Amino acid sequence: MKPLAEHIRAITPREAFRPVVMFVPWIVCVLVALGMHTLAPLVVDDYWVNVLRRIGVFIVAAVSLNIVNGFTGQFSMGHAGFMAIGAYIGGGVTYYGSLMLHGSVGDPSFQTHGVLLMLGGVAAAGCVAAGAGYVVGLPSLRLRGDYLAIVTLGFGEIIRVLLELTTKQLYTREEVTLGALFKLPLNGPTGFERIPGYASVFWIFLFASITCLIAYRVKQSSSGRAFLSIREDEIAARAMGVNLTKYKVRAFVLAAFFGGVAGALYAHTGVNPSPTDAGFQRSFDIIIMVVLGGLGSISGSVLAAIILIALPELLRDLQQYRLIVYALLLIIMMLVRPQGLFGVREIWDFFGKKNRPTSKEESNP
Amino acid sequence: MSEFALDAQGIGISFGGLKAVQDFSMRVPAGGLYGLIGPNGAGKTTAFNLLTGVYSPQSGQVHVAGQRTDTLRPHEIAKAGLSRTFQNIRLMGELSVLDNVLLASHMRGRHSIWRTILRTPRFVAQELAMKRRAMEVLNVFALDRLADEQAKGLPYGDQRRLEICRALATEPKVLLLDEPAAGMNPSEKKTLAKSIQRVREMFNVTILLIEHDMGLVMDICEKITVLDHGVTIAVGTPAEIQANPKVIEAYLGEPGEAATSPAQDAGGAA
Ligand SMILES: Nc1ncnc2c1ncn2[C@@H]1O[C@H](COP(=O)(O)OP(=O)(O)OP(=O)(O)O)[C@@H](O)[C@H]1O
Ligand SMILES: [Mg+2]
Repeated sequence: MKPLAEHIRAITPREAFRPVVMFVPWIVCVLVALGMHTLAPLVVDDYWVNVLRRIGVFIVAAVSLNIVNGFTGQFSMGHAGFMAIGAYIGGGVTYYGSLMLHGSVGDPSFQTHGVLLMLGGVAAAGCVAAGAGYVVGLPSLRLRGDYLAIVTLGFGEIIRVLLELTTKQLYTREEVTLGALFKLPLNGPTGFERIPGYASVFWIFLFASITCLIAYRVKQSSSGRAFLSIREDEIAARAMGVNLTKYKVRAFVLAAFFGGVAGALYAHTGVNPSPTDAGFQRSFDIIIMVVLGGLGSISGSVLAAIILIALPELLRDLQQYRLIVYALLLIIMMLVRPQGLFGVREIWDFFGKKNRPTSKEESNP
Repeated sequence: MSEFALDAQGIGISFGGLKAVQDFSMRVPAGGLYGLIGPNGAGKTTAFNLLTGVYSPQSGQVHVAGQRTDTLRPHEIAKAGLSRTFQNIRLMGELSVLDNVLLASHMRGRHSIWRTILRTPRFVAQELAMKRRAMEVLNVFALDRLADEQAKGLPYGDQRRLEICRALATEPKVLLLDEPAAGMNPSEKKTLAKSIQRVREMFNVTILLIEHDMGLVMDICEKITVLDHGVTIAVGTPAEIQANPKVIEAYLGEPGEAATSPAQDAGGAA
């Protein structure tokens, strides 16, 4: 039988070039974001538009955590740490960038430049978080199960403490010097204030749909199968030539990158990121989304993020019982559907089964 | 350098005080079909684990197609051309049959994360080629019609066959089969024996087989190594092994193993 290399050579460029597959999904992402942006204010009030923005942010967070916890089955409990890194980097770029370039923050006349600053901040946030993901990913190669969970939990707490140690925020252009910036003026335990809320529904859902698209493309690829194989059976995965080190780190870096993106967007939704955003409480919230949606299911994570953000809003009188509701939900889920809403599958897998044509000559070994 | 597809010299490992495999040597020429037998707990699976790097040998050396492998990590050994099936089936249960086979061709391709995200023509070509090859491999065991089924949902025999397909999809030079006929009925075993011989031709692969079914081993293997308590007690052709008093003793001496004595079983199957 021909080796793979020959099969690849036998494929014509025309067969391999599929512009529809290649480009259309990106356009769909933009259209989804545009659609949400124009429709949302028509359908719901400002309060719910804000809830929608939160939902978008947590879709990015849950889908990205799913790459580690769902695809590779490594139990990371520090995702909020990456998010917080992203929030402070993204917020910092916009805030101090505006202050230095314009002299004030959030001035409407600076809006266009401000949004560009935010996009730069999102990119920077993703990259720094990815770097942190690399550092956390390395020990994960030696650790399994509970131990990895503890290390990643510790990572989140370390980020939280480090953020508490940052210096007072600077409010005027004169104060902003290179020396002062090196002291990380991120306002310590009080929380980083006055970051303009540039992350509109459009931007948030653009990033959310792009995150989903990328996660889905990874899942439906050789790398994705390598991720899933690690979760299924490490010994068999290794025997099939999967480099565990490489793919575990790759998963951590990818997840951390989008965790950072989620954080940067979060910082621009009119909230004040604070050190507690890095804590285990937040990590736990995201884990619940991933588990509820189904480990490995992207659409599951999306649905779970929607449910778990919208539900407390709908039950606002029960706000203080949120944790009890969470716990109950989880217990019920574990009893009724331990694999999560969709398991490893996607929502559309449940409607109609596609038929794969089988080869005509059924050989009889 | 050696001209053998698989060349293990004096490998061994102990677990605590238990010498699971001692001074195990085996040379299989390219294209050979050799057998490894022995009573339960003799150390056969452990020998496979040593060859494939699940355990690092505490002594000795292994070469696969001339490349030294005992110092490599398991995925590197797989890449060097040594592939295997598992006695206690280790499929990716949640994944589809096709995905299991696709996973195995993973290391023969290149997987840049950018190409994956952008779905470049190169990526598409590679995925397409992997799929085509995977379906061809599945077709050898008539599993292609089950390509979309979840692996854990397959009947036992199909799972065993899928494990062989998966191992073959790695483009191995040497294929290690750990009790591929376990749990199969006599007619299934007969087709399996034919398939193994066919696979050897089709994939141009060297095969080392662990099997308790003596009829099967004596029928298809050119040369057989017998392990007992981690020690190699005999090496030879099927006829020599059946006549070897040490082998008969090892099997008969083992209570409850008398029924599968090599001499009796092979006689029955021949
Ligand atoms: N990881 C391990 N730790 C401790 N002991 C082990 C380990 N793996 C194998 N052994 C022991 O080594 C011996 C050989 O086991 P092995 O699985 O290789 O036997 P086998 O020849 O494959 O037997 P079977 O025919 O039942 O599959 C057994 O006594 C087993 O208990
Ligand atoms: Mg065994």
